Amino acid sequence: MASFNLYSRGDRIFGYANATLIGLFVLSTLYPFIYILSVSISSGAAVTSGQVVLLPKDLTLAAYEFVLSDRLFWIAYGNTFIYTFGGTAVSLAIMIPGAYALSRARLRGRKILNLMVAFTLWFNAGMIPFFLNMRDLGLLDSRFGIIIGFACNAFNVILLRNFFEAVPKSFEEAAKMDGASEFQLLWKVFIPLSKPAIITVALFCIVSRWNSYFWAMVLLRGEEKIPLQLYLKRIIVDLTANDEFASSLLTSRYSFETVTAAIMIASIIPVLLIYPSIQKYFNRGITLGGVKE
Amino acid sequence: MSAVELNDVVKRYGALEVVHSVNLNVERGEFVVLVGPSGCGKSTTLRMVAGLEEISGGTVSIGGRLVNRVAPKDRDVAMVFQNYALYPHLNVAENIAFGLRVRREKKDVIEAAVKEAAAILDLTPYLARKPADLSGGQRQRVAMGRAIVRKPQVFLFDEPLSNLDAKLRTQMRAEIKRLHKRMGVTSIYVTHDQIEAMTLADRIVVMNGGRVEQVGTPMELFLKPANAFVASFLGSPPMNLLRATVVCVDGEPMARIDAADPEAALLRLPKAIGTSLRADQRILVGLRPEHVAVGNDASGDVQEIAATVDLVEPLGSEALLHTRISGQPIVAKIETPADVEALSQIGRLQIPVGRLHVFDAESGKAVNGHA
Repeated sequence: MASFNLYSRGDRIFGYANATLIGLFVLSTLYPFIYILSVSISSGAAVTSGQVVLLPKDLTLAAYEFVLSDRLFWIAYGNTFIYTFGGTAVSLAIMIPGAYALSRARLRGRKILNLMVAFTLWFNAGMIPFFLNMRDLGLLDSRFGIIIGFACNAFNVILLRNFFEAVPKSFEEAAKMDGASEFQLLWKVFIPLSKPAIITVALFCIVSRWNSYFWAMVLLRGEEKIPLQLYLKRIIVDLTANDEFASSLLTSRYSFETVTAAIMIASIIPVLLIYPSIQKYFNRGITLGGVKE
Repeated sequence: MSAVELNDVVKRYGALEVVHSVNLNVERGEFVVLVGPSGCGKSTTLRMVAGLEEISGGTVSIGGRLVNRVAPKDRDVAMVFQNYALYPHLNVAENIAFGLRVRREKKDVIEAAVKEAAAILDLTPYLARKPADLSGGQRQRVAMGRAIVRKPQVFLFDEPLSNLDAKLRTQMRAEIKRLHKRMGVTSIYVTHDQIEAMTLADRIVVMNGGRVEQVGTPMELFLKPANAFVASFLGSPPMNLLRATVVCVDGEPMARIDAADPEAALLRLPKAIGTSLRADQRILVGLRPEHVAVGNDASGDVQEIAATVDLVEPLGSEALLHTRISGQPIVAKIETPADVEALSQIGRLQIPVGRLHVFDAESGKAVNGHA
């Protein structure tokens, strides 16, 4: 029987070229992870002498031992957990009802309220007014300030609102006929139906809070409240000027670079663990609002 | 006391009035079907009864209680939607139980009600399934189950079968009828399908352009349509309507069918109707396709008239004969003869005079005293 190929030569070349480019892209994004991991488990001497390019040399966990034995690392880690997960919970608790209200046609002044929310996407007050506002509200150097000060994000509210608007009206009507109150309607119908959007927004919140650095640096004073990113900055900036640390390098297997890398690896582990489990929702969620079924 | 009463109900969207002064009394246990073409206001009227649309004017009462300003959940009505509106994140049992759960009924009451509804609707094997894993007919039964468990005073159906294929629609139609017989709950059913209306209804309300055209039993509407719209809407194929002018021949009123040909066909009109007509009155002469006969099939007072056959559509036991009288189309629904080919050669139709309907061409109203 004569065989035939569904793809032309041009199609096959195009396919190979695509696969090669994607492969290169994957390697280029994967390389920094592998490199940092290798550095974190190599000896300081090997890293400093430039022997670590891809794979680790002189395997050692000395850098991790140094980092994990630092009390401030654990405080910063705990703070980051509080800011990330507490902050995300508070954000969702504020943004979901807000977005739901903005999605309802019967909300009085809906257009102007939506415009006010969208306005903050294009213009905001800037750093100094925000800082003064936080100061006047007594939210400087406060964990609560970090959580509540960044609880609401206009982009996320609009994303949720668009998803709520796309929920077929008959679900709302059926629930109303069934006797659901407005809160039951949100809790038992809209939230379960909007799971992809909510998980996407939660992931946005988690990633942005986990990586948050600037405002923590501006608003927090005491060491007891700093998040992991600020701790990392203190290690990078402060340790270089720390004589005790410099002298410890003479006798230890870790170095400035391996300690920094170990903190980086420790700080990305939670996000790496979360992402795969919610990736399917995230992939669906990022297209939200663009199409209506 | 009526189960549902609509008095001069009006719906406006801004300056646009879409439902004009609808009056309707639905008796307890009755199955009333609102039927009409798309955009005639039937769904809007139903939604006003449900409380999903505000009433712009008039009153709606359910069980003798004025409900104009009562929330949908407090009207004691349940609704089945066209697109089922089943919650995709809940399984069948949870969907059916939803209305009872949000009303905080006791767990054992909910379980018993779900079991009972599932048994009635043959859903017991599917209680743990999600809506996505059900067929269209099963989904529609779940939607009905959700309405049943509430034990409402009134069931409202908004085109519940229009998303189903033809075969399933016929099955579900019969199931809805059986369900109504068994439960005896007052039901208002909206459809654009006149067959659904004819088969399900105790009474049909024909709507057009936001107005009620006629209310009556299916056979009343079929046999004595109040106007040309009702006549042409009910029946499949619809009633033939021939444009004509009343003329007096030998003292008897006759209809001269409009045609370019001056030798246009003259149709005798029923004597009972003739007395209500005047000379030169513009009329529409109506005749049901199933009442047109060919050959020597007709009996009684029959007028034979020349016709040309355009097309023959054999449907199995019956055939549709698309013909023309004086250039105007007329469809005949006849028993399929052994020689189908011969039908295209037929040159004459037999018109039973007593079966003719006459409508005033201007107002569309029937001229036989049923307007």
